[in-house]
Amino acid sequence: MLAGTSRRVIGSLVKLPQKHFSTASFLLGRKYTDKHEWIDVDGKIGTVGISSYAQNALGDIVYVQLPDVGTTFEQSDECGALESVKAASEVYSPASGSVVDKNSEVEETPSLVNKSCYENGWLFKMELSKPEEIDSLMDEEAYSKYLKSQEE
Amino acid sequence: MSSAVLRVLCLGTLPYNKALILQNFYCEQLVAKEPSALNTLLVLQHPPVYTTGIRSKEYSTDDEFRLKSFGADFCRTNRGGLITFHGPGQLVAYPILNLTCYNKNIRQFVSAIEQSIISVCDELGVLASTSPHTGVWVGNNKICAIGLHRRQNVTTHGLALNCNVDLKWFDHIVPCGILDKGVTSISKELGRNFSVEEGTGLFLSQFSKTMNSPLIIVDEQETKKEVSTILKRAFYEKC
Repeated sequence: MLAGTSRRVIGSLVKLPQKHFSTASFLLGRKYTDKHEWIDVDGKIGTVGISSYAQNALGDIVYVQLPDVGTTFEQSDECGALESVKAASEVYSPASGSVVDKNSEVEETPSLVNKSCYENGWLFKMELSKPEEIDSLMDEEAYSKYLKSQEE
Repeated sequence: MSSAVLRVLCLGTLPYNKALILQNFYCEQLVAKEPSALNTLLVLQHPPVYTTGIRSKEYSTDDEFRLKSFGADFCRTNRGGLITFHGPGQLVAYPILNLTCYNKNIRQFVSAIEQSIISVCDELGVLASTSPHTGVWVGNNKICAIGLHRRQNVTTHGLALNCNVDLKWFDHIVPCGILDKGVTSISKELGRNFSVEEGTGLFLSQFSKTMNSPLIIVDEQETKKEVSTILKRAFYEKC
């Protein structure tokens, strides 16, 4: 009984809004899709890029087609393209949301995606409309395992 | 490593926009993993047309108007590569493939296309090679252009091998956006007429070898029926 009372007191003293405990908004590091995009979430903003495996598989990137600010996507929608070896490969949005920024540096210097795919070679940022979607993506370990299974 | 069978449809001469409808149909089937979906190779020629890739903004409406005034069509596409020309006498091939079936990434696939064309040239005694610029070259002159699109690992667009195409069409553009380089054809290199029909057999054989992919050549009647069905459906869906 006492324990129950203590729990009720604690509950009223320390209000814990559920949304702050959504796993999406904690610093989880990068999450990956099975199409080799990554998303790094900070609050409600996700930064999107392609993985090292992807940039290597594409070869030298010569053109980056990014979505305009304000465009909205559902998870897995086509959101852009990267051109290498005269082939334009589609990029897919890792999450649902709207684009709030795009990396003009990679538009001017597409090779940044090859040289710095996780840092300066980010593609665009989006405000997530369904942060819980991030939970379904792969973390570093799962993505490594996924890459190994692709090689077999 | 398993090798997927490749269905070949020889389409004769088909306008560019109609071929695009076919390409998109076969691509959709493979992307959707339809049970009936098969890796498909379209082999054809186009009436005169200039096409651009995703870097389409480099070509203005003035460019478009100017090129159309020469009697060609003009089409902006989502493939890689810059501007090129397709026309009679040029063997055009669109491999609509799921690259996962062939265990190749896009770089390896482009390389396989280049190698198969080099092998065709080699059979004919034409010394062809690759260069830092994607495509197949005879010295400083491009004999085969390549431009692809990849959607969920399914490819569309493809290659264009100059057999006996009138090379003057290329005078109106900077082919593939590369200055100080020219174009050539198998006919020009051999000093005799070399037709698309002659090139098709050689190309299919070398592509099949390079991709380690057995071919099923669909017969003419079946091809006509299939193409007609797909184009009719697309027409009615548009209405």
